[in-house]
Amino acid sequence: MQILLVILMLLVPYMAHAAPLQTYEITIKDGVFDPPSLEVPANERMRINVTNAGTGPAEFENLSLRVEKVLGPSVQSFVVIHPLKPGSYHFVDEFHMDLAGFEIIAK
Amino acid sequence: MEAPLVIVWRESVEALLVIGILYAWLRRENLEHYVSRLWVGTGLGIVLAAILATLFWVAGNWVSGPSGDWFFTFMMTFAALLILQMVVWMHRNGGSLKRRIEEDAAASLTKWNGWGIAILAMIAVAREGSETVVFLSGVGAQQQGSSLSLFILGGIIGFVFALITFWLLQKFASIISWKQFFLISEFVLLLIGGGLLVTAFDKAAVQIEAYDLPNWMFDFIDTPIWDTSWLIPDQSNLTGLTGYHAQPSLLQVCILALYWIGAILLCVKGRKSLATRSCVAST
Repeated sequence: MQILLVILMLLVPYMAHAAPLQTYEITIKDGVFDPPSLEVPANERMRINVTNAGTGPAEFENLSLRVEKVLGPSVQSFVVIHPLKPGSYHFVDEFHMDLAGFEIIAK
Repeated sequence: MEAPLVIVWRESVEALLVIGILYAWLRRENLEHYVSRLWVGTGLGIVLAAILATLFWVAGNWVSGPSGDWFFTFMMTFAALLILQMVVWMHRNGGSLKRRIEEDAAASLTKWNGWGIAILAMIAVAREGSETVVFLSGVGAQQQGSSLSLFILGGIIGFVFALITFWLLQKFASIISWKQFFLISEFVLLLIGGGLLVTAFDKAAVQIEAYDLPNWMFDFIDTPIWDTSWLIPDQSNLTGLTGYHAQPSLLQVCILALYWIGAILLCVKGRKSLATRSCVAST
């Protein structure tokens, strides 16, 4: 396990150029997602840039897709989502569970 | 009110289990000296959680960005390995630790393990604690008047629940036989350790996948190899504690398998060398 980590650490600096991933932008404002859903092609890897425009923290989460990102107010980060089978994938803002959340529809 | 209640209680379960098991174990072994280390670690964990939460507010882009992900990756990997080391240590010395320490048989090893206990408690508290602080300070700040009171009340009840859980764990430990407790403890600790390792690699995977990699690596990292969501769907407590994923990738399965095989091999090996040593000693 340690060896694997060391290898990864050594690899990372050499992979300086980012992959040409299809990138989408979403904004979370106090639990409300903009856009509320995203239509993406199935079986393609993608990157989602998430911006928290709310006044409090947000946690962008979908457990099955291994996405768990805590964002402070006015913080931006990204997640990478593996190729999806056609279908609909629901995301939540864990800090605003009472709201509708966010949907990715893979076609 | 439910949200802070659930979050405070849920986030503290992992730390509670780790600290509760170590506490019950140290008390049973009459190692009071180490109990203080446990509390020092818990205290340091609260401090570290506060520092991390502060960082989250003042340097949010750092915490939520690649550096933060790598930081948590290494912290969790370290904790997982510490748990592994702790379980092997407990397993090798089961029931005879105090005597062995007095015999000075493993003085240097135990000294290190004393700090290992402190560090493990610290990481266990800091990891989930920082998220709890962020949630309480962030979402709590948006509440006003009576809803703020309810929010605070929820947090307090959550904390009381956590304390009750700790107390129940201690009761449970004193009711069942030492041997059973020992077995369950080792199992639960390794479960948590494996879960930490899987989560650590999940964090690392997000960062690694942003780079241009050969396809087989992407496949290895994230193509699901089976789907058990019909049996046990993904659920945040379960995933957080054990690293369970209904649709795991080969990487996740390999990591968990390596961790458990490593643990079993080390425990078996430890028992054998101990047996040889005591044979030599008795002759």
